[in-house]
Amino acid sequence: MRTEAIRFAPERTIAGDLGRPARAAAMAAAAGAVGVLLTAFLAEDGLRRAQFAWLIAALFVLTLGLGALFFVLLQHLVRSGWSVAVRRVAEKVALTIPAAGLLLVPVVLPTLLGHGGLFPWAAADAAHESELIAHKRPWLNGPFFALRIALYIGAWSWLARWFAARSREQDLSGDPQATLAMQRRSAPAMVLYGVTVAFASFDLVMSLTPEWFSTIFGVYVFAGSVLGFLGLCVPLVLLLERRGRLRDVVTVEHYHDLGRLLFAFVFFWGYIAFSQYLLIWYANVPEETVWFQPRQRGGWAPVSLTLVFGHFLLPFAGLLSRRVKRRRGLLAAWGAALVALHYVDLLWLVGPAFRAAGPAFGLPEVAALAGAGGVFAHALLRASEHSPLVPIRDPRLGESLALRQT
Amino acid sequence: MASARGTKLGLVGAFASADELVAATRSVRAAGFRRFDAFSPYPVHGIDEAMGTRPTVLPWLVLGAGVAGLAGALALQLWTNGVDYPFVTSGKPAWGLPAYVPVAFEVVILAGAVTAFVGMLALNGLPRWANPVLGAKAVQAASSTGFAVAIEAADPAFDEARARAVLAGAGASGVEAFHAPPRAPFPRPLVYGAWIALALALVPPALIVAKRAGVSRLPRVHLVRDMDRQPKRGAQAESPFFDDGRAARLPVAGTVAVGELRADAGFETGRADGDWLSRPPLEIDRALLDRGRERYAIHCAVCHGADGRGRGPVAIRAEALREPAWVPPSDLQSEHARGLADGELYDVVRNGVRNMAGYGDQLAARDRWAVVAYLRALQRSQNATSEDLPPGVTPFSR
Repeated sequence: MRTEAIRFAPERTIAGDLGRPARAAAMAAAAGAVGVLLTAFLAEDGLRRAQFAWLIAALFVLTLGLGALFFVLLQHLVRSGWSVAVRRVAEKVALTIPAAGLLLVPVVLPTLLGHGGLFPWAAADAAHESELIAHKRPWLNGPFFALRIALYIGAWSWLARWFAARSREQDLSGDPQATLAMQRRSAPAMVLYGVTVAFASFDLVMSLTPEWFSTIFGVYVFAGSVLGFLGLCVPLVLLLERRGRLRDVVTVEHYHDLGRLLFAFVFFWGYIAFSQYLLIWYANVPEETVWFQPRQRGGWAPVSLTLVFGHFLLPFAGLLSRRVKRRRGLLAAWGAALVALHYVDLLWLVGPAFRAAGPAFGLPEVAALAGAGGVFAHALLRASEHSPLVPIRDPRLGESLALRQT
Repeated sequence: MASARGTKLGLVGAFASADELVAATRSVRAAGFRRFDAFSPYPVHGIDEAMGTRPTVLPWLVLGAGVAGLAGALALQLWTNGVDYPFVTSGKPAWGLPAYVPVAFEVVILAGAVTAFVGMLALNGLPRWANPVLGAKAVQAASSTGFAVAIEAADPAFDEARARAVLAGAGASGVEAFHAPPRAPFPRPLVYGAWIALALALVPPALIVAKRAGVSRLPRVHLVRDMDRQPKRGAQAESPFFDDGRAARLPVAGTVAVGELRADAGFETGRADGDWLSRPPLEIDRALLDRGRERYAIHCAVCHGADGRGRGPVAIRAEALREPAWVPPSDLQSEHARGLADGELYDVVRNGVRNMAGYGDQLAARDRWAVVAYLRALQRSQNATSEDLPPGVTPFSR
């Protein structure tokens, strides 16, 4: 019935040899890692700065993968038809999670060995200085922390691989039972995902200021992660469409739906961010406001305003119109901007623990970003090699190809 | 039905498939018709383009309502809380923008949702009793298996023969006319229902008016009883918690409540070293005298009279009733009263004398001295000579 369905040529969606760009990404990763190491040895307060720069960059790529994993789980959970044409892209991005987990080794190891440069609670004498930290000792201690991070990464990697593998098997078998199996697993997987993401955000970000706490924090990090992935997804899909891999597969209708999700998560992020701020502002309790205090002063105040406008108000106004969501290039530009702002968000979350006076962003941070980004890109390219970029025999693919907005 | 038919309102063509429907609407539009509609059992992709339907203006209405709601809600809160009646809540600034956001957010949602709903109805010309085109058989079939295109006679390009030809030419399996329904009287049950509803709607305001205008001897209706029972002990209540069995606690021995320190014995008793004070031990000014006049009028004048001569209303009444045990109040203008020391007068006010009760419980020390000071002024005013007049004032003579 649909002309698009007739034009669909599965063989054209297969990514070829991606060895060259993957090698380039690996070189970028190596160069970035060297840059970070140089920072650690040469710069003033270099070790801490390198650690923080690395943590931010690692979290950046990890959360992009986590956003992709959420996207995959969500599409199976709601039996989504429209998204089949772009789901494989999310599956591939989610497959970068194991590599991003390796990036956390330089974060976890010093903490395990009792070095308190990143996480103050890890230092041996931290418990003597603060009763609150002493009280949190059963949770915030090196071995348990390392074990938890390993569990989180293991759970996410397992989920990402399981769903990608079932989908890939279906490419060959065409078995509709695979779709039903993924759908059945998606609900418990979502519960596991929600709990692990929330606690990972507590462990990796919130415990940088171990005396502070916010119960909504996990939701905040989750909202930013999904927004970051959606922001990445649009330019990625556009690139693949321009390269011919997704031509006649994705149409403007898919961009429209991705744009809607992007818009929704822009608002969701703003809603959660404001909810966290409002309660703390209103209650005005010192042990809670202490977290916002440095972020409202000095060099961090412009960063906070950048987030309020760049991460929320401007994209909200910019993505409101239907026309914007149906213009591929413009939507991809908004997506790319939101990916950049996701980095700023993480900088804002983590950075004040390094320096309360103002943000530190310079060569060390760029090097860390190049390193982590190179690892991410390498993992993404290797996962995509010689593989169809569309679930070519998914039973709902026809529905997705025929997508029309009413 | 045929006999009661009204004016002919247009033509309906029946079609067999969605593709035929799209093609038919396209050719109807190409033929120059503008007031026509397509009917289908399910949404047909591409029908909007074929019909040339323009994007609805509704999103702009909703956006406008949302922006107006945002501005209105923020302005209301800024004006009421920040300008007109600044009210400090939890130590927040009067222009506490974060606190205004939730209300503004809700108002935006409300304004947008209501506008979307009402605007959709209005743009669709709803509500209306029925659409005459629903009388056509092809349109009725379009709720299950068929497809139909209706061209309205109100279309300026409408010409029955031509419209019939266009529909037939587009492949219509049948073309029929649809008519205005016969004029029917307004349904009587609805009229009665409306009257009953109106009458019932008047009951609550009538009850309110009756209650507000009338007088009730019944106790107030007490809806919220949260405050009736409280986990506390009343005055003079027992409590098994304390050894002495009383709920009310006494101050710790040797403590003095704030403002209750009475260190100046002369000020408290009117006596120093065994002698009455000759002057009040505090500065006498206009405010103190005014306070004394007010206290005198409340506590003293009922017996002693406003002029102090002992002819207050209680005294007059007691004499009129010939009360056997009545002791007339003293004349405060007598030589004896005028000769008393201030401290002694103070002591009378505080502890009473003969039949007069002491007013120490009703009047604080400062108020007692104020009464004494006022009494001195009263005595002087009633026994004045021309020498007491300020210089330059000539005495008034009869």
